[in-house]
Amino acid sequence: MNTLRNLLRIPVARVALAILFVVALVAVLGGQLAPFDPLKQYPQTLSAPSGDHWLGTDYVGRDVLSRLMAGTRLSVIGALEAVAVGLVLGVPTGLASVWMGRLGEWVSLRVTDTLMMLPFTVFAIAVAGTLGNGLHQAMIAVGVLTSPGFFRITRAVALGLRTTHYVEAAELMGASRWWTLRHHIWSKVLPNVAVAAAHAMGSALLVVASLAFLGLGIIPPTPTWGGMLSADLGFLEQQPWAPLFPGVLLVLTVGSLNILADCIREAASGEARRRRGGVLRRAAGRRDLSPIGVPLVPVDPEAAVPTDEEEPRRVVAA
Amino acid sequence: MATATLPPRSAVPAAASTRRGGAAQHLMAAGRPLGRLLLTTATVLFLASVITFGLGALSKSNPAATVLGETATDKDIATMNHQFGLDEPLVPRYFHWLTGALHGDLGTSWFTTVPVSDSIKQALPVDLSIALLALVLAILLGTGAGVAAALRAGGFVDRAVTVVCSLVATLPPFVIGIGLIVILAVKARLLPAGGYVALDVDPVQWLRFSILPALALSIEVAANIARQLRTSLVASLRENYAIGAEMRGFSRRRVLFGHVLRNAVSPTLAVIGMALPLIIGGAVMTEKLFNLPGIAQLALQSATRGDVPVVLGTLLVTAVIVLIGSLVVNALQVLLNPAARRAGTLGGAR
Repeated sequence: MNTLRNLLRIPVARVALAILFVVALVAVLGGQLAPFDPLKQYPQTLSAPSGDHWLGTDYVGRDVLSRLMAGTRLSVIGALEAVAVGLVLGVPTGLASVWMGRLGEWVSLRVTDTLMMLPFTVFAIAVAGTLGNGLHQAMIAVGVLTSPGFFRITRAVALGLRTTHYVEAAELMGASRWWTLRHHIWSKVLPNVAVAAAHAMGSALLVVASLAFLGLGIIPPTPTWGGMLSADLGFLEQQPWAPLFPGVLLVLTVGSLNILADCIREAASGEARRRRGGVLRRAAGRRDLSPIGVPLVPVDPEAAVPTDEEEPRRVVAA
Repeated sequence: MATATLPPRSAVPAAASTRRGGAAQHLMAAGRPLGRLLLTTATVLFLASVITFGLGALSKSNPAATVLGETATDKDIATMNHQFGLDEPLVPRYFHWLTGALHGDLGTSWFTTVPVSDSIKQALPVDLSIALLALVLAILLGTGAGVAAALRAGGFVDRAVTVVCSLVATLPPFVIGIGLIVILAVKARLLPAGGYVALDVDPVQWLRFSILPALALSIEVAANIARQLRTSLVASLRENYAIGAEMRGFSRRRVLFGHVLRNAVSPTLAVIGMALPLIIGGAVMTEKLFNLPGIAQLALQSATRGDVPVVLGTLLVTAVIVLIGSLVVNALQVLLNPAARRAGTLGGAR
C-alpha cells in the first residue's frame, strides 16, 4: 500500500499510468470506439490524414485509426498471455530453487541459461512450425523464454533474505518454510516481480509486434500493430510517414511501461533519486536488475546479473 | 633463474613464486574457471538440443500427412515414416538425431528431400557476415560515443549521447530499420532498400547491400555499449588511481586511454555477450525488412509449410552460434579479469 502511495506521488508515474489506462481502455473497447469498421475498404486508398479519416487510409482503403484501435486488443492480449506464462513458470521455481539443494540449484540455473540463450524470434518461428501457427502457441513460447527473468529476480531476493537475521531467527523459533515465505519473503519479492513484470510486458509487446510483422500467429486481415507496420513497408514510396502511427503508439506504450517499472523501483526502495536525463532515461528501461530492499550477499556469483549502471568492479590490491 | 639473480628474495619463497609467474601462470590460474565455463556450455548445449528435439517430438505434423495428402494409404504412410526414422521410439530417435547433428547431418527436408545442412550452409553466410559487420559497427559506434561522452562528463556531447542512447533504447529494432530505410534509401537514395549480393561474389556490392541492415542491427547494441562504457569510465575517472595519475602530470587523455579504459573492458564485454542473442534474433527481423536470403527466411518458409526437420535445424544452429559467441566473450572476460584469475589461484591453494 505504501509503495502504491509513493508511486502515485511521482508525477511521471501518473502520466505513464494515464497512458497505460487509455491503452487498456482501447484494448477492451477497441471495436466499439473505432469510428469505422477496421476491415471495410473505402474507395480512396493510401490517402493522407483528413477530416474524414484522421490518420488516412491504407493500401486497400481501410481506415488507419480504426485499425490501430481494433489492433490494440490482440497486441495487448498476446503480451499479457506471455507475461502470465513467464510469471507462473518463473516465480514459484525461483522461490523453490533456494531450498532445492545444490543439484537442484545447478540444474535450474542451467535451464535458465539455456532459455536465456535462445533468441525469441527464432524460437517462436520454430514453435509455430512444429506446434502450429497460432497466437497462443507463439505467446506461450515467448512466455517460456521470459520466465528466466522472473526466476532470477525471485531467486536473488529469496537468497538474499534467507541469510538475514530475522529470517534465521524465525526459522530457529520453529517457523515453517511456508510461514516464513508468506510473512517475511513474499512482501519483498512482490515489488521486484512487479518491476520485472512491467519490463517484461514492454518487451513482450515488442515481440508480439515483431511476430505479427513476420506474419506469425495472426492471420492477415485481422489488424495488429506489427502487421500494420509490415503492410506499410510495401508502400514507403507513396506514404513514407505511414509506419509512424503504429510505431509511435508502440513506443509510447513500451516507454510508459518502462517508466512505470522504474517508478515502482523508486517507490519501493523509498528513495526519490534525481537523475539526469529524466523521463527519457526512465523510458529507456534501465537494465538495473539488482533486487530492491534486500541485503545483497554475494553467495551466488551465478545469480549476479551484469547491470547497466553497475559500478566498475574494484580490484582489491593484494 | 629469478632466485639465482636475487638471493635475498629466496628467503620469502611465497612472494617470489607469485612474482615469477608471468603469462603461463595466469593461464594456469584461469584454467579452473575456464573448465567450469566449458562444462556449463556443454550442459546448455545438451539442454538446447533436448528442447529443440522436444519441439519436434511434440509436433503433430508428420511427413506423410503433409506431403502425401488425403489419398495416402496406410502402407504409404508407414513407408514414409520409416524413411524418415519416425517409427523409432523417442529416446533412440533423439540419440540418432543428436549424433547426426554432431556430424553435421540434420536430416532431410520432408518436402524437397534436400539435406537440411545444405540449405543452412547456403543461408548462414548471409546472417553471419551481416551480424559480424553489425557487431563491428556497434563496437566502433558504442566505444566512440561512450569515450566521447566520458571525456567531458556533463558537457554538450555527453548530454547529446545520453539523450540519443535513451531514445534509441525505447525504439524496437525494426522501427529503427524502417526509419533508416525511409531516410537513407527512400528519401536520400544513398543505399538500396533491399536485396543481397554474396561477399565472395562482389565485396563492394555486398557492402552496399549489407551496410543498412547491419546499421539497423547495431544501433541498439551500440547504445547499450555507449551507456555502459560512459558510466564505468566516469566512475573510474574519480577513483584514486586515476586522480593519482593525473596529479603525477599525465594528460587526461593518457589517463583515460592508458589506465581507465582497460578496466572498463570487462563490463563492456558483458554487455556485448548479452547482445549476441539480440543480434542473432534481430537478424531475423532485418532479413524480412531488407529481403535477405538468410536463415530466418528459410525457417519462416519451412515453418509455414510444416517442414519440421528444417525448422529444428535452424533453431539448433542459431542456438549453437549464440552459444559459441557467448563462450568466447565469457572466456575473454575470465582471461582479462585479474580478480577472476586470482580467485582461481586462491581457490586452488586453499
